[in-house]
Amino acid sequence: MNKTARAFVFLALILLPIPAPAGSQESGAAPSSLPFLFQEYRLRNGLRVVLSEDARLPLVTVAVGYGAGTLREKPGQEGLAYLMENLMFQGSDNVSPLQHIAFIQKVGGELNATTTADKALFYETLPSNQLALALWLESDRMKSLVITPAAIGRTREELLGEYGERVAADPYLETFSEFDSLLFPDQLYGHPVIGPRMKDLLEGDVVDFHRTYYVPNNAVLCIVGNIDPGRTRDLVAKYFDSIPPGQDIPSPPQPVFRRENDVVEGHIRIPSESAGFHMGFRFFPLQAGDAYCLRILEYVLLEGETSRLKARLLRRDLTARYLTGTLDERPSIAAIKLFCLATNAVMVARSEKAILAEIEKLRSNAVSLEELDRARLRFKMDYFDRLSTNLGKARFLVDAHFAGKRLDELGGELAAVINIGPQALAAFSAKYFIPQNRVVLEFGPQ
Amino acid sequence: MRPQASLRRPANQAVRIILVTGMAALSLSLPAPAQERFRRTPPLPDSQRLELKLPPVEMFSLPNGLTVATARRPGSSLVTLQLVVRAGEADSPPDRPGLASVTAQMIGKGTKMLSADYLENWIESLGGQFSAAVFMDYTVLTLTVLDEALDRAIYVLRLMTLGATFSEHELAAVRRIAYWQLYQSKKDPEVLAWRQLLSVLFAGHPYRAATYNEDVIKYITARDVADFYGRFYRPGNAAILVSGNIDGAAVAQRVGSHFGAWTGPSSERIVPPPPPTNDRARICFVEAPESAAATVFAGNLIMGSSGRDFFPFLVLKQILGGTARSRLFMNLRESKGYATYAFAEMEVFDSCGVYWVRALVRPESTVPAVREILGEIAALASVPAAPAEIEEAKSYLVGSLPLRFESSLGFSEWMARYVALGLGQSQWDKGPEELRLVSAEQVGEAARRYFSATPVVVIIGRPEWLGAYLGDLDAVEVYDTGGKLRTILHKGGGR
Repeated sequence: MNKTARAFVFLALILLPIPAPAGSQESGAAPSSLPFLFQEYRLRNGLRVVLSEDARLPLVTVAVGYGAGTLREKPGQEGLAYLMENLMFQGSDNVSPLQHIAFIQKVGGELNATTTADKALFYETLPSNQLALALWLESDRMKSLVITPAAIGRTREELLGEYGERVAADPYLETFSEFDSLLFPDQLYGHPVIGPRMKDLLEGDVVDFHRTYYVPNNAVLCIVGNIDPGRTRDLVAKYFDSIPPGQDIPSPPQPVFRRENDVVEGHIRIPSESAGFHMGFRFFPLQAGDAYCLRILEYVLLEGETSRLKARLLRRDLTARYLTGTLDERPSIAAIKLFCLATNAVMVARSEKAILAEIEKLRSNAVSLEELDRARLRFKMDYFDRLSTNLGKARFLVDAHFAGKRLDELGGELAAVINIGPQALAAFSAKYFIPQNRVVLEFGPQ
Repeated sequence: MRPQASLRRPANQAVRIILVTGMAALSLSLPAPAQERFRRTPPLPDSQRLELKLPPVEMFSLPNGLTVATARRPGSSLVTLQLVVRAGEADSPPDRPGLASVTAQMIGKGTKMLSADYLENWIESLGGQFSAAVFMDYTVLTLTVLDEALDRAIYVLRLMTLGATFSEHELAAVRRIAYWQLYQSKKDPEVLAWRQLLSVLFAGHPYRAATYNEDVIKYITARDVADFYGRFYRPGNAAILVSGNIDGAAVAQRVGSHFGAWTGPSSERIVPPPPPTNDRARICFVEAPESAAATVFAGNLIMGSSGRDFFPFLVLKQILGGTARSRLFMNLRESKGYATYAFAEMEVFDSCGVYWVRALVRPESTVPAVREILGEIAALASVPAAPAEIEEAKSYLVGSLPLRFESSLGFSEWMARYVALGLGQSQWDKGPEELRLVSAEQVGEAARRYFSATPVVVIIGRPEWLGAYLGDLDAVEVYDTGGKLRTILHKGGGR
């Protein structure tokens, strides 16, 4: 093949959508057992685009995710990803500071942004006849964000001020970041998204971070709602195709976790009369299928009033006033995190003991099929509930993209979770629920 | 020693580097490419008009007086089943505030044959979620399940509502939880402000029953609950609502087969007339020692849910403080720097409604912030809003309306309100049309009608701020977090 022909083939390849598997109901639509269809393709500049049509309401959600989460912060740069997220509202070549918000709200839309370990996500839901407005706004800040020392200083001051107000108003807030630093001892995961070190960030840090990570080849654009896919492709091409790509993006750094010799324990004092604790279990390195076990275990232990831990602490033993928990899934590690307010200081130890007793049961006895069915159904219901809105679908797709999943395989996830059986749960529990994976942080009145 | 291979660059790579370097040098010598013209200004919306098309709510009446309302939502895997009872917080007897709420919480806590644990297990074995919500004029019990479990869900809902028993044992548990939640809620300054505002606006009115705190819960007995249930939980005073990917007529028939035998005389619930609008300057300060900033509310009475001013007032409220672009936010935060936020809200009940401004204010700026808030309200009453401002408010409201119908929860909550308050089609999917028809004259009329009267001001803050920052106010009523009047402070420090 001569050079001209090779160049032509290469150009054709990057212009073509990523081929949909056989069985598509429409050209480019990815078939799956997801309760919705979507199309996925990539622009020449590397921007990945996902479209999904839902004509039930005259709304559209536009979500743009950048692989620019806290994992990208270097030591000493804690808070940089969150600062950058907020600077994205400080204006671009054609949009004045904070006018992005104004444009969206003017037409009745809602918007927000969030920063996690793996990404910064920006999204807006607005009337579907205003799709072009959202694309214009998102493309303008992707192409020509204006970063000035004044904007950095002002935004940083506001963020730290508001964080200080939240800390003052919520006596438990800082216990969460303290607990995370114990649970994830690696520097990459163990620091909060915002903290006092944000004030030490330099303008150069911000500019470098933006130039490196806020580029189309490190981003995904997801559009879900009442759209005409053909016209939407045209609009996406119009607004995004000419944005130049950045340099090649290095793979995110891999946190290194070390198993402790025993339980990690800590205690802090808080400005409140309540006593309680955080308890967490770390799971690493995760093997294939482990994530599905964890999702069911979360429901067995924590979801619903009859779940094991809630029934035991809140209904039977009455050692706690409040108990909540979550499954925190991150690249290469996951954790079940519990937060408990005991009925009084004495009940802290009793509540912890009761939780460990329930965990021990998981290790030694198989979960009954009846209990498992309940967890499965609850999981299934929450799954469909999450996917019932445009934003829910968009976030589902963007999350999956940054988790390194193939979007056309997502449809199999629900079945994979539902098919987890008692033996798999018992084996998982025996392997991971060990003292060396457990972290406890107690808190009480000063 | 470095491997030899690493010292050598492949020839093609070397060429590429030269090319890139050359292009970079070239680009430095050229002017920046002109910006595409389309990027300079925001695009116009698509020309097609936005139409909000909601599934119709089909109403069926059973011979026993029970209303069955269904709405088909294609594509939804969840079905929401609701029992709406037309009795809410306002129906609790004056000496038993909170009774409506405790009664709703007792549904599902046992029948003659089935224990609370059994029922809870049963619901969760369906993957279902059950909740109770009590509003001023009505109560909603909601059971959400996967569509495959609808029949069983109807059966469970029938058992737990029609066969409800109220044991002292279960009541003690419900009281304990309610006490804790109410106690905790006093740490939320907006909850404290809302209760104080309602207690002033509805003094001597049945709606004041909604302002109770945790102390009253312990007085509620199983007998009280049974009496309230017997009085209001009757087929003629209730409705069953089903929304999801359903066949409405078939589901209504199945609901009928379960609830058709429910008997009881119709309840004569009387909607209380609205109280008089507040017309004198009142400033209430609630001492909350843990406050980090001052929470300021200012509000007054407005029309009820069926009032003719409903849509004009929505536009008015939007102009005053609907978003961060509205007058309050632009003035108090962006211009003066007094507040972290400042918005306007409204809630409408059967008899009347309430509008209020809510702002989080720097403590030292409390007095000027209050003056600005009152000034913005008065300004709208005296000077008509500009047509452009009105059109922007309408555009926002029309655009945002569909958002509330997106989730199963949002849809079913609005449907319950629609049925419970007997609202017209204008508050189902005709809202955008109604909003488009709102004229500047109607907005001005609503402003004069509701913003001319002096609103009640409520401030939540630390006790020491009274002397430090609020000394300029003429008279301040000082309350504790339980709503008890402690003292009245006058300008200059007098009591």
